Amino acid sequence: MTSTPHGNRFGFKDLGIGIGLRTVHYPHILSKWPKIDWFEVLSENYMDTGGRPAFILDQVAERYPVALHGVSMSIGSTDPLNREHLRKLKALADRTKAHWVSDHLCWTGVLGRNTHDLLPMPYTEEALAHTIRRVKQVSEILERPLVIENPSSYVEFKGSSMPEWTFLARLAEAADCGLLLDVNNVYVSSFNHRFDPVEYINAIPADRVVQYHLAGHTNKGTHIVDTHSDHAIDEVWKLYALSCRRTGLVATLYEWDDEIPPFDVVLAEARKAEAYRKAAA
Amino acid sequence: MRLASLQRWMQAVVVHPGTTEQALRSPGAAAHLKPARLESVLLPSKTLSAAERIAIYQEMYPLRMRDALSSDYPGLDHFLGNRFWEFVTAYTSAHPSMGYTLNRLGDQVPAFLGRRNALRHRAFLKDLARLELAITESFDSPEAGVLRAADLEAIPPGRLGQTRLVTAPSLRLVDLEWNAADYLDSIRDESHKHPRPRRSRSFMAVVRRNYSVFRFPVSEAAFLVLSDLKEGRTISTVAKRAMGRRGPRRAAAEDFAGWFRHWTAQGLFSGIRGRRSLG
Repeated sequence: MTSTPHGNRFGFKDLGIGIGLRTVHYPHILSKWPKIDWFEVLSENYMDTGGRPAFILDQVAERYPVALHGVSMSIGSTDPLNREHLRKLKALADRTKAHWVSDHLCWTGVLGRNTHDLLPMPYTEEALAHTIRRVKQVSEILERPLVIENPSSYVEFKGSSMPEWTFLARLAEAADCGLLLDVNNVYVSSFNHRFDPVEYINAIPADRVVQYHLAGHTNKGTHIVDTHSDHAIDEVWKLYALSCRRTGLVATLYEWDDEIPPFDVVLAEARKAEAYRKAAA
Repeated sequence: MRLASLQRWMQAVVVHPGTTEQALRSPGAAAHLKPARLESVLLPSKTLSAAERIAIYQEMYPLRMRDALSSDYPGLDHFLGNRFWEFVTAYTSAHPSMGYTLNRLGDQVPAFLGRRNALRHRAFLKDLARLELAITESFDSPEAGVLRAADLEAIPPGRLGQTRLVTAPSLRLVDLEWNAADYLDSIRDESHKHPRPRRSRSFMAVVRRNYSVFRFPVSEAAFLVLSDLKEGRTISTVAKRAMGRRGPRRAAAEDFAGWFRHWTAQGLFSGIRGRRSLG
């Protein structure tokens, strides 16, 4: 693991190249303890279980650096923050000595309901002020800066008054949070909404990027769905290379969540990032 | 449109089980946005209309709900086959996910099935769902130590009667009126020999050991003893109640030693009340 030439303003480490901890890989991980820099853990999968998942997570966290990644914080929702969720999230972060805690720029439900989807925000001044306020609250509760990931999306709101990258940059500055830059999501949304992904990457405050996500997607012709079910395409790797040149070495994570192949296949895909990281070092 | 209103509108559309057109016209959505004004909120793309774009979210919602319920209720999914979709739609309309995890989405399934008067094999399906819910709950329960036979034997005979055992947090006791356990056993049977629903009373203990969930049948008398122990009664009270019952519910004095040996070996107890928990 090398130190970053640029570094992020939070002092979060470049953890190297990791993959998401997934149930289908448990037997491989427990029997081989494979050489890998770090694991990303889906927070909600481990908050309410005292069984095998918790046992395995504890074993993994003892041996590898981990970061927590959530899907249910619903940071953009107009519902009140779920304090029980945040309390359990903090306990999990403390228990696993997580390097950081991330979730998505999205909302997952209102009126107490959870759709369990990462629903998009309108990029308005009202939504920005609302999200800034909530990110600050969450960071205070978690006693660490929250890290926010850019989503992939399939709709655009007519009322948006700024592009997503401006919203994210302003949010990060005003709420003093970190960013998890999902390069595949940038590509997916750029295809769906016909914007220039390079402009997006160049607008992200480089010193706030503490993690990258890479993944595959499914191109339906009329639109792209962020399925995490394949290898990343060349265009995504090119965007990653571009962003690495801006941020320096930043922890990088490959997500594979559907039709998950054997551990070594996912790891080999993740390790393709090494060449781009070397070029950026 | 204000953020709160926009989110209520979008959610009403996304979770609607009908077509996108029906979803846009539904009272929950139309209260915030008249269908004709859709493009005043959502932009079309070069390839998709505004309605087609929000349909992407609407189509993904039931798939997620189905995956979550199928994962917790594989037996129910197997039995219902094509009708499982219909069940998912009806269930999630009545009991949408209200929490941060999908792990608890299916908690109301047995009660829900119990209310479906028109459902064929309703009582069998409710039993099957109760057993599957017990397995899920056992899987997710907190970890605890295990009481060994030697721990029990170390209790002075004069104090044994007043002892209260702590049952394992993963222990679930399920009494079944139908052959749901046999059906659940059969769903991975490659020869496709699945028993037809029939009345068959049985009593199951479900417990997690070494991070795997096991279940085994017990007699009615043993089931009632375990239930009493789970409720925190002293061993002497449990024994007195058990020996005072009639018919197959009654336990004989000579049953207890063998039961406790078997149950401690199966990890059904995690400690003795009033003592520091094992761990």
